[in-house]
Amino acid sequence: MTIKNVKDLNKIRKTSLATQKKHPKKVLVCCGTGCIANGALKIVDSVRDGLEKRNLKDVTVEILKETGCHGFCELGPLVIIEPQETFYTKVKPKHIEDILDKSFLDNEVIEPLLFTNPVDGSKITKYNDISFFKHQQRIALRNLGKISAHDMNEYIGVDGYQALAKVLFEMTPDEVIGEVTKSGLRGRGGGGFSAGRKWKICKDIKADKHYVICNGDEGDPGAFMDRSIMEGDPHGVLEGMMIAAYAIGAKEGYIYVRDEYPLAVKHLEKAILDCERTGLLGENILGSDFSFTIKIARGAGAFVCGESSALMKSVAGEVGEPRAKYVRSVVKGLYDEPTVLNNVETLVNVPTIIRKGADWYSSIGTKKSTGTQVFSLVGKVRNTGLIEVPMGITLREIIFDIGGGILDDRPFKAVQTGGPSGGCIPESMLDLPVDFDSLTEVGSMMGSGGLIVMDDKTCIVDIAKYFLEFLVEESCGKCTPCCEGLYQLLKIVERICAGKGVEADIEKMERLSENIMLGSLCGLGKSGPNPLMSTLKYFKDEYIAHIKDKKCPAGVCPELITYEILDNCTGCMACIPACGYDAIEGKKKEVHVITQDKCTKCGACYAVCNFDSILVS
Amino acid sequence: MIHITINGKVVQAKDGEMLLTVIRREQIDIPTLCHHEAVEPSGACRLCMVEITKPSWDGWCDYVTSCLYPAEDGLIVNTHAPKVNELRSSILDMFLARHPKSPEIRQLAAEYGVMKTQFEEVVDGDNCILCGICTRICDTMGFKAISMVGRGHGKEVAPPLNMAPAACVGCLSCAKNCPTNYIEYNMKNGGLTIWKKDFEMIACTECGATTITKEFAEYLSVNRDIPFDYFEKCDACHRKELAGTMGRIANWDREARS
Amino acid sequence: MNKRFIVKPELCTGCRSCELACSFTHAIDGVRSLTRINPIDGGFKDLWVPVTCLQCDDAACIKSCLVNALKRNPVTGAVELNHEVCVNCMACVAACPFGCAILDTQTNLIVKCDLCGGDPACAHFCPTKALVWELIKKAVKKTG
Ligand SMILES: Cc1cc2nc3c(=O)[nH]c(=O)nc-3n(C[C@H](O)[C@H](O)[C@H](O)COP(=O)(O)O)c2cc1C
Ligand code: SF4
Ligand code: SF4
Ligand code: SF4
Ligand code: SF4
Ligand code: FES
Repeated sequence: MTIKNVKDLNKIRKTSLATQKKHPKKVLVCCGTGCIANGALKIVDSVRDGLEKRNLKDVTVEILKETGCHGFCELGPLVIIEPQETFYTKVKPKHIEDILDKSFLDNEVIEPLLFTNPVDGSKITKYNDISFFKHQQRIALRNLGKISAHDMNEYIGVDGYQALAKVLFEMTPDEVIGEVTKSGLRGRGGGGFSAGRKWKICKDIKADKHYVICNGDEGDPGAFMDRSIMEGDPHGVLEGMMIAAYAIGAKEGYIYVRDEYPLAVKHLEKAILDCERTGLLGENILGSDFSFTIKIARGAGAFVCGESSALMKSVAGEVGEPRAKYVRSVVKGLYDEPTVLNNVETLVNVPTIIRKGADWYSSIGTKKSTGTQVFSLVGKVRNTGLIEVPMGITLREIIFDIGGGILDDRPFKAVQTGGPSGGCIPESMLDLPVDFDSLTEVGSMMGSGGLIVMDDKTCIVDIAKYFLEFLVEESCGKCTPCCEGLYQLLKIVERICAGKGVEADIEKMERLSENIMLGSLCGLGKSGPNPLMSTLKYFKDEYIAHIKDKKCPAGVCPELITYEILDNCTGCMACIPACGYDAIEGKKKEVHVITQDKCTKCGACYAVCNFDSILVS
Repeated sequence: MIHITINGKVVQAKDGEMLLTVIRREQIDIPTLCHHEAVEPSGACRLCMVEITKPSWDGWCDYVTSCLYPAEDGLIVNTHAPKVNELRSSILDMFLARHPKSPEIRQLAAEYGVMKTQFEEVVDGDNCILCGICTRICDTMGFKAISMVGRGHGKEVAPPLNMAPAACVGCLSCAKNCPTNYIEYNMKNGGLTIWKKDFEMIACTECGATTITKEFAEYLSVNRDIPFDYFEKCDACHRKELAGTMGRIANWDREARS
Repeated sequence: MNKRFIVKPELCTGCRSCELACSFTHAIDGVRSLTRINPIDGGFKDLWVPVTCLQCDDAACIKSCLVNALKRNPVTGAVELNHEVCVNCMACVAACPFGCAILDTQTNLIVKCDLCGGDPACAHFCPTKALVWELIKKAVKKTG
């Protein structure tokens, strides 16, 4: 049906709510990319078959929900039974019969499939009792894991497009901008620029056309919040874009989606088509004067294409290379017209802000960083995944309360925030409230919200090397300081890791870093030395250990470590076949020996030894 | 007309003209490697960076590429601020490490006091500094026969699919404007080869001298409305022809008078 | 400027003072440039034709230049070549039907007559007044 006005919209909302109520019992299967990779689609099929067998075929749509990502991908496929909120992890098709009979038709709980608390080994039944979810506050991820990602009516059922109706009929564009400005919403794509102010600048420029672009390029390694949002709540993104378009007077919008995200593209395409068919996109939306269309632009597969000027060139069909500019893209962007570029997460927050008001939003978080932030928590923590927390929460709360602490109870060493443009934060700063400004102050960045937790077995020089490798690979190669400078930084760090560093290298790296930051054209180069600089600042000792003592304290850099067998070796001979290089000799029940010039430091023996007899130093 | 201050001296400039143009007009020497007046500035080499400030900026200053920064009234420019000098030699040092064999780069680096690189030399490095002058010129002329391919260290200038580019007319503008003379071409026996494409040169109908390729002449004739026969004689023979015509007229005059 | 450049071959003795004047006037950093004017044998006894750019109305050189390095100076009427912009493609050299855009092989620059920006040196130096830079009114009277 078409949605010609607000009345039609509300009718759908009512019917959608009513159908949901008719069948309060539901089976939610997470169908995010992570769970699909673990076999979620087979689970969906099994549930469908199971329902048919039980004569529930007609109400499958009401019962079975293929939801967006919960953020807890490592435990997927995830299945939730509502209304009990029973949370099952690592579900296989063979479990479905049991789940349907016992858990869905009855109120039983299937113990083995429950989540195991990694801290004490206890089983947790309910979704919201799990510490990973308990401490979260979900605004951007509000619909993820709750509704069927590809069903527009369900989105409308959870107040979808109400914010659009509100701005179209109750607010002027300036009032919308005022509300978003007042909410304090800052860009979640890295820069943290006020969204409302950006819209205001753009709106005030007289031009033939204005554009809205949603940045879904998400290139930071390990970050996947934008993907999850586009997959799991595509209508939320569209509604955010429509509100932005109304505010700045744009008639055309683009979503720039990273090429590696086919599912996001599929869901967005479906959502756009549904909107076009019903009239939520096109001419005179909801009977108002507002007309708007959205097109999808596929990313060019390079990290730098997420940078605003490169992205706009890429959308326009040119090579996605940053353009040097002293005129900002809000003024002269896509096709040289004023353009608002916002990140996926920024835009998906907008409808809720409009519905609940700026004051509500700004009451969450800190004074200068309002609202919540989605992080992708990875590394050496017990619970990894996507989380959304209020700004101002401390790193300690994130890592220890939500993350459940460090794996194997090892000591915490550092946390890397902000991806390739960010930096490493040491233990002494664990109580740092996480917001845009405090992270920048300590030499890191909010970036796109990546959090990589490291324990004492992580070599900090190796981490710097990893990020430099990434950046050298991703630098577009246009400007010299970034392309050549980062390459030379990498060469120096590689030398240090190989035990060939000299003391003067530290100063050389510092000076080179400064010149790269000063001289580079775009944000990639300007912030590229951050990972190195921050580790140099907080972990200089570790660099010195590599350079002067030729030692890698974490036991990571192959050239700087030795593997030895201690006297408590039982002579079990397990390590001998494990070594692919014939470096270990020894007879049964006698202490084995490693021939050092044959050893390649691969660590295979260390992994197989059951008696902690292999010493890495 | 607006006024800006460059290295302490107040100079006139046109509103919106690029700082580099003003700086060069003032005969102040700053190096550039990616700048060419025929094409849009790109800001790739970063050598032309200068320090700018304004009285209203409260002592804060910014560093910008002068090839791209439009002059504004009241701007105070320092083309050789300490940070800028350091950046320039650092960049030249990076260039030197990357293209140790390029005579042009070595000379420029030496001019700015970098005789030997402090970085690791790239052994198998070629001499293309990725300034993009060739591709931008080719784009501006309307051919778009070559472009930058790849990214980062693997980036290179190449025709599409690395095959003889259909769009190339053999005007040689890319090769002749390459700051490191990296682009090779071969001209012999009335033919020309560049980017693996072979061209026929037009030979002067009088003396056989060659000036441009047949393909380029045809392009100009079709797209620029120039009779093709203009291209059939070389400049020297055209001058002789003109002398002959004017000579005949002058001779009539002379005979008529005497 | 209501002046125009007139060539009178019947007065030219082929002394080549114009060449020298042109060459020195356009010197860059003290290096002489290629002359833009050449007295060429007119094919008759004692007849020399000083050949130089005619500053055509519908100039082939301007049309041939794909980077807009050639532009007409609205004051002098001369077609001027901007060396900073020129990419040495040789289009104008090939296109000019009178061979008056030429390659200076010493400097590798394309050069052509620019009427010295409004005061042609050759006219000053021509001892027989075969080259004149005169007011258009006068010229109209003379030819008309
Ligand atoms: C090298 C580089 C890569 C970037 N990648 C992304 C990206 O993947 N996604 C994104 O939203 N912003 C990215 N940005 C930031 C964008 O340029 C831009 O600031 C942002 O999309 C603006 O949206 P916001 O104000 O909502 O944050 C990148 C910036 C740089 C310099
Ligand atoms: S800073 Fe790096 S990514 Fe950005 S334009 Fe320069 S080379 Fe390209
Ligand atoms: S080939 Fe020459 S002109 Fe082209 S990018 Fe390389 S250095 Fe520049
Ligand atoms: S150079 Fe040739 S084409 Fe150009 S104006 Fe002079 S005579 Fe005419
Ligand atoms: S040689 Fe120079 S002036 Fe002549 S057409 Fe080519 S670019 Fe233009
Ligand atoms: S001249 Fe190369 S960046 Fe300006």
